Amino acid sequence: MADHVSHDEHHVAHESHGTKFYWIIGAILAVVTALEVGIFLVESSMSEAVFLVILLGLALAKGAGVIAFFMHLRGDAKIFQFVFLVPLLFAFTFCIAMLKLFSNHVGIAG
Amino acid sequence: MSTSVSQGSHDEAHQAPILGSMGVDSRKLGLWAFLGSETLFFVTLITTHLIFYARTKATLLAAGTLEKLDPRTHYLGIELTTVLATLLLASSLTMVLALAASKDKDWKRFRFWQLATILLGTAFVGGQVYEFIHLYHEGLKLAPQYVLEGETVKSLYGVTFFTMTGFHGLHVTIGIIWLIATYVKVGKFPNSPENPMDIELAGLYWHFVDLVWVAIFTLIYLI
Repeated sequence: MADHVSHDEHHVAHESHGTKFYWIIGAILAVVTALEVGIFLVESSMSEAVFLVILLGLALAKGAGVIAFFMHLRGDAKIFQFVFLVPLLFAFTFCIAMLKLFSNHVGIAG
Repeated sequence: MSTSVSQGSHDEAHQAPILGSMGVDSRKLGLWAFLGSETLFFVTLITTHLIFYARTKATLLAAGTLEKLDPRTHYLGIELTTVLATLLLASSLTMVLALAASKDKDWKRFRFWQLATILLGTAFVGGQVYEFIHLYHEGLKLAPQYVLEGETVKSLYGVTFFTMTGFHGLHVTIGIIWLIATYVKVGKFPNSPENPMDIELAGLYWHFVDLVWVAIFTLIYLI
């Protein structure tokens, strides 16, 4: 029992950051959001592929920031990473496959 | 048992960390697994919406009316949504600051940041209700058609949009109730050794609803 507690406390200590760190992460995420909106406003001046890649990249970076630093998954127990990231990866794959299979039909139900 | 538990009440002694065979808190493991299943739930809703938007676009393109009747460009503005995204992002920051305060056992600072999180979340839900009412009056409803420029277009755009964003709003509302419950519990039992974990669990759920909005904001409103 004592071993388990110290093991758990190790994780808690490992994932703790100072409040200044969280403010910096929050500021970075706010800048990324502002960049997303800025790119949306100048959409017409770039190709669709570039627009998509930049926006998806920024969204992924923002999501990764929230998961890693606000949810403290970075540095937390591997089992937490496994039970969250595996379904997330599956969900991404599912989304891409479904979009590829079913997006180009004409009509309300294809 | 730890010193803090032996000095606390008998009830507190029963609130020791629930460690499973993997050496981690069972509730936290359960919540992470639940959030993993929630990613599948929301990705399914988002994917369904994207598919039916693409189908609507293909149908309108074939009819030569895409520019006139495109639901996304006519209904969804980014002004309000950017404010909502900022509110939820700010609430994620205040939530993590509340958690940091709880680990320092600075309950005054915790109450401030937790209350800020609750207020920001409530403002988000208020903004979303405003958006829904606005869209309803504009002709986008939870129905298999929408009305634009006096024309009725058969499409599941409205159904999938309101189902997806509505479920997200419901999750935010549940998150607010959870945060309020945690706030009250910590106020009533400030010496409970379980407080930091209770706050961490509520925080994990809260950050997750923010994460879902990050995806919805980009995939539905911006792209």
